[in-house]
Amino acid sequence: MTTHRIHRIELITRDSQPLSFDCSEEQNLIEAAEAAQITLPSQCRQGSCGACHANVTTGPYTLGAHNAAALPSGSAQHGGTLMCRTTAQGNLSLSLPYDYSRILFQPIPQRNAHITAITPVAENTVLLELQLEASDEYGSAAQFEAGQFMELEIPGSEDKRAYSLSNTSNWDGRLEFLIRLQPNGKFSHFLNQQAQPGTALKVRGPQGAFGINEGSLRPRWFVAGGTGLAPMLAMLRRMAENQEMQEARLFFGVNRESELCMHEELERLQSELLQFKVDWCVWKPQGDWSGITGTPADALRTALADAAAADSQPDIYLCGPPALLDAAEKVAAEFGIPQDQVFSERFLAA
Amino acid sequence: MFCYQCEQTDRSNPQAGCATAKGNCGKDATTADLQDLLVHALKGIAQYSVCARALGAPDDAAGGFILYGMFTTLTNVNFNAARFVTLLKEAAQVRDRTKAHYEAAAIAQGQTPKVLTGPAAWQPAADLKGLLAQAQDVGINEGLETVGADVIGMRSLILYGLKGVCAYAHHAYALKHESTEIYAGVEHALNFLATDPTDIETLLNESLALGHVNLKVMELLDAANNGTFGTQQPTAVRIGPVKGKAILISGHDLGDLVALLEQTKDTGINIYTHGEMLPAHAYPKLKAYPHLVANYGGAWQDQQKEFSDFPGPILMTSNCIIEPLAPYRQRIFTTGPVGWPGVRHIENHDYASLIQAAKALPGFKEDGTDKTITIGFGHDAVLGVADKVIEAVKSGAIRHFFMIGGCDGAVPGRNYYTEFAEQAPLDTVIMTLGCNKYRFNQHDFGDINGIPRLLDLGQCNDSYSAIKIATALAGAFECGVNELPLSLIVSWFEQKAAAVLLTLLALDIKNIHLGPTLPAFLTPNLINVLVEKFALKPIGDAKTDIDAALQRKAA
Repeated sequence: MTTHRIHRIELITRDSQPLSFDCSEEQNLIEAAEAAQITLPSQCRQGSCGACHANVTTGPYTLGAHNAAALPSGSAQHGGTLMCRTTAQGNLSLSLPYDYSRILFQPIPQRNAHITAITPVAENTVLLELQLEASDEYGSAAQFEAGQFMELEIPGSEDKRAYSLSNTSNWDGRLEFLIRLQPNGKFSHFLNQQAQPGTALKVRGPQGAFGINEGSLRPRWFVAGGTGLAPMLAMLRRMAENQEMQEARLFFGVNRESELCMHEELERLQSELLQFKVDWCVWKPQGDWSGITGTPADALRTALADAAAADSQPDIYLCGPPALLDAAEKVAAEFGIPQDQVFSERFLAA
Repeated sequence: MFCYQCEQTDRSNPQAGCATAKGNCGKDATTADLQDLLVHALKGIAQYSVCARALGAPDDAAGGFILYGMFTTLTNVNFNAARFVTLLKEAAQVRDRTKAHYEAAAIAQGQTPKVLTGPAAWQPAADLKGLLAQAQDVGINEGLETVGADVIGMRSLILYGLKGVCAYAHHAYALKHESTEIYAGVEHALNFLATDPTDIETLLNESLALGHVNLKVMELLDAANNGTFGTQQPTAVRIGPVKGKAILISGHDLGDLVALLEQTKDTGINIYTHGEMLPAHAYPKLKAYPHLVANYGGAWQDQQKEFSDFPGPILMTSNCIIEPLAPYRQRIFTTGPVGWPGVRHIENHDYASLIQAAKALPGFKEDGTDKTITIGFGHDAVLGVADKVIEAVKSGAIRHFFMIGGCDGAVPGRNYYTEFAEQAPLDTVIMTLGCNKYRFNQHDFGDINGIPRLLDLGQCNDSYSAIKIATALAGAFECGVNELPLSLIVSWFEQKAAAVLLTLLALDIKNIHLGPTLPAFLTPNLINVLVEKFALKPIGDAKTDIDAALQRKAA
């Protein structure tokens, strides 16, 4: 087993401001900084454009393949380096050829909001709608990527629960969440007992990297279990807003028919997205069920078999409880879907 | 993918060029390949257009589509692969229409229509996999083993120059200025490339012919801008923000700007120009809008930082977009030929969502610096004081002119242009255009007998001004442009600059300093040809180059 050593990277900006972060030997300096929420100027990230050049003042490092012209002439002999091609072999100090103001830091926004509606949409499931309060820093807008989540703080406590947003970035400050009411859940208790339109609460986000693989033209298949539908809904809504043309398919699964929800919204999306199909899956139907009986992972297996026959490999987005994700990932692997075409967001009980 | 059309192309291998999953500009292999195929499809349209035009039945509507299609393939314009799948289908339809148009004209004239081969016979594959397979056979390097690097390099010079020509012509088209002569020139060049030419001399002649076509294009664009918005006037432009809601507009398209100014009139939203939109402040009909308040930020390569900091939405109207970062990804909009997957796109000047965003976002909380920079020295403004300028040259007050212009970029070697401008002696005048100016346009250069030492001629789109001024000065001094006390220090990044370079060469302008590096597609043999015929020079050390330029004139 190999382990990667972690090194400390100290930076000093042109205007003498220090900052630091940790870097493993398998990261380049730009990536490591980014992991520490520090966005250093860079552009091509392939050692060619020179936008990330800096000077190593002390410490051992490796500079990978790069365009020599991207560095000031002769500087490579004196520590000149391209941070996107630099890996640390020990603790490093670097001087940056730009001011501190050139560096982006992205603290996670904290906003005040209030509840505008709590609507039961299925058995033990509510649609929670919030309105962000306008702030000096963010205005009244709600800006986030489809697929991201927010942490909602339970009023009167410091407890937070993370929920995926089910709507899309908007200028009115609207946030929507699909929330499964858990028998012993703290947030569920708050929703049942305390919350009502007008109730104020704090939100922290957007957060998370789950979202559409934008550059891909492959079909987009969304596998959702229960309220794992929320980020899928956000992504489908965004596809409709942007008129994205990729073929889309949703495998939406629940335990009982009574847990299915958002029928009207999914129908609306089917009318707006020309190539969008929904597979409704119920694991243990209670009555006369005409949809798929089984889990969305089962439905995915059937669909992937058809796709394989047609020589098609979709991008697969997974969201829901871990057991469903494990099963669906296994199915994807069985059909040889490359790992970089499978994107997942696990719902873990808090 | 294989792409080496911009200055930033990968040079870490012996064969320069971006050939991995992603180019240095951020363009992925799928998009790059589809762009290659689109160029192939546009050649096919041009093949039939040339035939139709020869029968006196031109299809200028197809010409408009060619301009737009070529523009989408420039560096830092459209990164949205899905857009190219659609454009390829449209291209096949336009080709079919042009073909039918030609065949009808031929039959009407009693001729049997020719059946064209090559790109003209291309049929789009049914799916993406098929399109990408087709793209593998039509890249710029196709035939390299047979024809050699020099031929490929010359074809590249023409193709990339043509992309720039089309982009400029599209800008004029957007302001309702078209020219049959230009459509004919563009179609001719594409048709020529469709023949897979191999004779270097012919290729060189065609590249210079394209340079002449571009001169016509620049003239048309000049007429479009000045005709629509009035001629540029020297104008002091604020560079600090003004308290209040804000929209930032970048790129070159003045038509997009005026539509935005109209729609935001009396809304309390201030409009800021970014990058190449700066010269807008000098046009009478644009600066008449009081809410066109200031210029914000610098050249394109700084946009990720500047857009993150801008407290309102951003509109990208043409080149040059780079990957939108998270802080502003939801509030950047594209329009026209521009695209980025997942980024909102606006068509037909429908700015409702952009305006809604501006109202929702915080805007500037307070006024910034009231510092200004002076711009607006188009050919009318400069030639309006030609007598004064000529007198200053004759009296020796002005020893030399340096035209320092073109594109900016990130590479450290571009500091040369800053050093060059700042070290130019006090008895020299600097003319500039393009976004390269941001390297020095806040420096106080002073004046010579009331003539500012820094004259900002406008966008790279305004290169016609530089040519017109140089030609007028040559006329006044009764000499050729090459005999003027004038040196051209050109900074290139993408294909618009390639078009302008071809025009300068077509006009037989010599001793151009080109940098920060020479195009990767020009082989050593081709560079030798350009050095021999045009004394083209790479940039060196700023001080040495200044001294040499002054020496040359003194000799």
